Amino acid sequence: MAELRVLFKDIDIPGIDTLDVCEQNGGYSALKKALGMTRQQVIDEVKASGLRGRGGAGFPAWIKWNGIPKDESQPHYVLCNADEGEPGTFKDRELMMRHPHQLIEGMVIAGYATLAKVGYIYIRGEYTEPARVLRRAIDEAYRAGYLGKNILGSGVDFDLYLHMGAGSYECGEESAMMSSLMGERGQPRLKFPHAPLPTIAGLWDCPTLINNVETLSCVPSIIRNGGAWYASMGTEKSTGTKIFSVSGHVNKPGNYEVEMGTPLMELLELAGGVKGKLKAVIPGGSSVPILPAEKCDVNLDYESLQAAGTMLGSGGFMVLNDTVCIVRFMRRTAAFYAHESCGKCTPCREGTRWMLKIFDRILAGGGRQEDIDLLLEICDQIDGRSYCGLGDAAAWPIRASIKHYRHEYEYFIEHGYSVVESKEAVTV
Amino acid sequence: MAEQELVTIEINGIELQVPKGEMIIESAKRVGVDIPFFCYHPRLGKGQAANCRMCLVEAGTKQPDGSVRMMPKPQTSCSLPASQGLVVYTDTVAIQKARRGILEFLLINHPLDCPVCDRGGECPLQNNTLFYGPGVTRYVEDKRHLPKAFPISDYVVLDRERCIHCARCTRFSQEISGDAQLEFLKRGADMMVSTFQDTEFTSCFSGNTIELCPVGALTSRRYRFRARPWDMKSQKSVCTRCSNGCNIWLDYRPKRLVRVLGRENEAVNEEWTCDRGKFGHEYINSDRRLLSPLVRQGEKFVTASWAEAYQVIASRIQQAVRAHGADSVGAIGGAHLSNEEAYLLQKLMRVAIGTNNLDHRLERNQLAGGDTLLTRFGVPFTQTAIADIERAKTVFIIGSELVDEQPIVFLRARKAWYRFGAKVIIAYPEVTETELRFDEPVVLRYREGTEPVLVAGLLHLVLSSAEAGSRADAVWNSVSVYTPERVAEETGVSLDALREAASLLGEGTVFLCGGRVRNHAEYPTLVRTLCRLVEVTGNAGRANGGLNILLPEVNSHGAADMGVLPDMLPGYAPVGDVGARQHLERLWNVSLPAQPGLSSQAMLERAAQGQMQVLYIVAEDIAQKYHDPALAQRALENAGFVVVQDLFLTETAQYADVVLPAASVAEKEGTFTNTERRVQRFWEALDSPSPDVKPDLNIFAELAVYLGKPIPVFSAEQVMEEIGKAFPAYADCHYDQMPPEGIRWQALTRVAESREKATQLT
Ligand SMILES: Cc1cc2nc3c(=O)[nH]c(=O)nc-3n(C[C@H](O)[C@H](O)[C@H](O)COP(=O)(O)O)c2cc1C
Ligand code: SF4
Ligand code: SF4
Ligand code: SF4
Ligand code: FES
Repeated sequence: MAELRVLFKDIDIPGIDTLDVCEQNGGYSALKKALGMTRQQVIDEVKASGLRGRGGAGFPAWIKWNGIPKDESQPHYVLCNADEGEPGTFKDRELMMRHPHQLIEGMVIAGYATLAKVGYIYIRGEYTEPARVLRRAIDEAYRAGYLGKNILGSGVDFDLYLHMGAGSYECGEESAMMSSLMGERGQPRLKFPHAPLPTIAGLWDCPTLINNVETLSCVPSIIRNGGAWYASMGTEKSTGTKIFSVSGHVNKPGNYEVEMGTPLMELLELAGGVKGKLKAVIPGGSSVPILPAEKCDVNLDYESLQAAGTMLGSGGFMVLNDTVCIVRFMRRTAAFYAHESCGKCTPCREGTRWMLKIFDRILAGGGRQEDIDLLLEICDQIDGRSYCGLGDAAAWPIRASIKHYRHEYEYFIEHGYSVVESKEAVTV
Repeated sequence: MAEQELVTIEINGIELQVPKGEMIIESAKRVGVDIPFFCYHPRLGKGQAANCRMCLVEAGTKQPDGSVRMMPKPQTSCSLPASQGLVVYTDTVAIQKARRGILEFLLINHPLDCPVCDRGGECPLQNNTLFYGPGVTRYVEDKRHLPKAFPISDYVVLDRERCIHCARCTRFSQEISGDAQLEFLKRGADMMVSTFQDTEFTSCFSGNTIELCPVGALTSRRYRFRARPWDMKSQKSVCTRCSNGCNIWLDYRPKRLVRVLGRENEAVNEEWTCDRGKFGHEYINSDRRLLSPLVRQGEKFVTASWAEAYQVIASRIQQAVRAHGADSVGAIGGAHLSNEEAYLLQKLMRVAIGTNNLDHRLERNQLAGGDTLLTRFGVPFTQTAIADIERAKTVFIIGSELVDEQPIVFLRARKAWYRFGAKVIIAYPEVTETELRFDEPVVLRYREGTEPVLVAGLLHLVLSSAEAGSRADAVWNSVSVYTPERVAEETGVSLDALREAASLLGEGTVFLCGGRVRNHAEYPTLVRTLCRLVEVTGNAGRANGGLNILLPEVNSHGAADMGVLPDMLPGYAPVGDVGARQHLERLWNVSLPAQPGLSSQAMLERAAQGQMQVLYIVAEDIAQKYHDPALAQRALENAGFVVVQDLFLTETAQYADVVLPAASVAEKEGTFTNTERRVQRFWEALDSPSPDVKPDLNIFAELAVYLGKPIPVFSAEQVMEEIGKAFPAYADCHYDQMPPEGIRWQALTRVAESREKATQLT
């Protein structure tokens, strides 16, 4: 029972966020190695690693890399998703704050492999500190010739820009991120099969590789140590390691990097154990279905969590003990999605606000038993019919909470207060 | 055109072939399957918005083994392109449920003020709810409340509570009109349509958003509460506010026009109109319309019968002809008449009175069917069809505030750029509204008046980059002195901009020339150089290229075609051309004056010196609109006798001795010829405001009777048949055979040919 550190291997080294220290610890050696490989060899190495996207969907990284056209008739772009808006998720923040050069190196390698000469890091507006660190690191990398024209004399060019978002969760959705970056309203764009994939027509209708901070940060160690080495960790389909942002009722909240397939209960122990009695875990950020304590005997990898009815998601691992009122908790979740709905499509725009109003009425004591089924039906009316994943993500947790904790809803509606609250606490 | 690739798809079990990439919502129509929608609009967007989610269908793809792999989620058919083997179900239980869900969502915050909403009765939200919606709502919370009936311009009212956020209006303003004046504010359920910081919605295409809005969120201030769709009738018409000839619907109640809607014509306006068109026909309803003839008695007008009025006019004309000759009489006007009326006006002047003193031109330059264009290209003013502009590779806008001068031509030019990636060059002395609607066009900011130098300089650049042997010496010699350096110096345009513009002038360049070209002091030189530039760049014979001198008024083109010109007979036959004259003499059974008459300018100058006995001003307020109003006013004051025929007691009419009340476009039928030579019919909708208001056609015919030289006229249709004989380009324009998009008359291969043909016909 221990962490397995790949991405975090060096983060405790003082000064690793500066170029000198980073270089002394092997920083940019992967880039040098990659520049000596063919582009396809780099992609093949990523393929061999089995690396999957860490932004939430777990899509195999190499398929995107390989999907980028291999000619340069158009400009190509690499877009790093550093929006990290998923509630309960703060791993990208630490990766950028503490090891910025790892990400930059990963991006340059990605740029080299996909023929991109320009990269963007779209970082959420609230991340002013990580942005400052990154900006400094980018400057250092330019000065050292790791960015810019003719990198390390290889003839390869790669310019990197940092772009700050303006505080919208939806802008973490990759197509909305592209809209936002291009100066449009932060709303999503049509997806395949309604429009070409971003790898064909992304930013400014040019081929664009979009990956999460953690995904790109994995690249240097994969190149340095080989894809097979990376794939030797984790499970067959979920290779490598994963950082979980553990928050909530644990004694030592924080980011923990563990091998894929680590038992959930081990992660809880790593985080100092549960404060009080475990009620449930939300393992992948607020968007994924809640996992009641009795189902927590599960391994942390894409397949096992899916089998358990939830998802690995972003790794935003929220721990709830038995003092948590599920209805209140879900009201907060509903409020988040209603607030963050971009408004583009009918189901999410109207449905999320409606659900919030129902929750508010229930909490105010005005609930009706039929509201529970109404909530479920609203979830059905949103899920699968909305324009982008935000709508689905608004429906899933609420639906799962009713599935597992219907009695809490019924109790709250009947009594006007929660099953976990004493009557006195409410009336005072 | 390249053959379109077809794919086989299946909709509700029916197999069909459709063009690859066609949106399924369109394919479904082919098999009679209706898919409800709100946000979809085939003219909006490079891709569709797909935001209302009303058009969901279940879709899958046929596998090699014949089974179908369904996609896990329903798909929006408005954005789902047809691909080989696509299988679609539009009416499954799941889809019916989905539609009910979407409508329930749309309705929870909808105010349901149908009884007081202008959209009621023609509202997609009402209709879709009726057919696909839930019967009752489960919503017990407060509805969203937002400002209602919020005027955002003189024309448009915004009701934010009614908005269903379909983004049609915002997409129109970004993609079609390009002014981007409407956008969404905020997000989620707080999202609302707005202008920038609630400033006025000044787009000159704002009316289209009213028609696009699928609910009553954007309504017309002019139409608000004036009628319900079921108590109006509609008649097809053509807008008269500029020379583009947009197709419109006149919606009317007895004796009242209540609104104007865009009418589809792919060849002209697609379905758009500008605000002048949409809101600029209210004058028809005015209670200041003339209701009977007026005859001057001293300082005052008194109403008169038509017989009295005709008698006064006829005797004054006859007197003038007897005492001073027929050339002491002249007529100005015609650009606002129908073709039939314009034709009759010239016949009245030439046949019944015996003078060529007639002219429809009020601008400073009085172009006679652009001689150069006609002899070189066989067209008087414009080569390119409006619809072909969108296929241009380069659009070159010269001396025109196109948005304002030719709104619908502008929309095509913008479409060429926005949808199809054409390059745009804009030459104008000042910053124009037009250039702001394109991203980074090549701007040639020349010094006022230096258009000829600029164009010569571009020709010079184009020629000098061509192979030396391939250029005609004469052409080269005409511009060899216009070196880029000199042109840059004289016009103030940078060398880089000149070179960039010249490099874009290849095959497929459409030249759109506006008022500053039309009225340039050195127009003949300018237009000659333009013609050469068009030829040298290989655009003389191309559909998606060519020279276009855009015209000012609704029927400027038709009036010129009809020979409302002092020196040209119908069909641009010079008055002095014996053959042409004889052809018409035979047709009309008269002998025609052989001397060219006076232009508007000459007539007015003469009149100002007291040398015109009779001025007949038809449907033009020359006292205000003539390019030199002071001259027009002096002329009106000093002419012996002034007849004004109009809808209103205009400023010009104040000078009249007799005023004749004419019918508006809505009260008569006929044809107009738009700036691209398209002859289009319009129909009668309303009764005239008084029995004593007559169409101009009748007035000319009756006046001829009083002049003792009857011109028998039974209908506009019959006049058109005669026009076809006088000017064979119109020979196909039979009323009963006119295609809905009208007839664009063919370029004359040789001008003489038209006359030969004409001679044969008679
Ligand atoms: C509503 C929504 C928000 C998202 N927010 C983020 C985010 O903050 N960070 C992120 O990396 N991916 C986010 N994603 C996932 C991205 O759309 C995309 O899948 C990801 O950036 C791809 O990178 P990866 O393949 O490396 O995971 C979000 C998706 C949705 C639907
Ligand atoms: S589901 Fe619809 S409203 Fe919600 S964020 Fe996506 S596009 Fe916007
Ligand atoms: S105002 Fe009308 S057109 Fe515009 S978004 Fe709202 S409903 Fe659609
Ligand atoms: S563009 Fe011209 S013809 Fe069309 S609506 Fe406007 S004024 Fe009328
Ligand atoms: S019509 Fe297809 S989503 Fe609106």
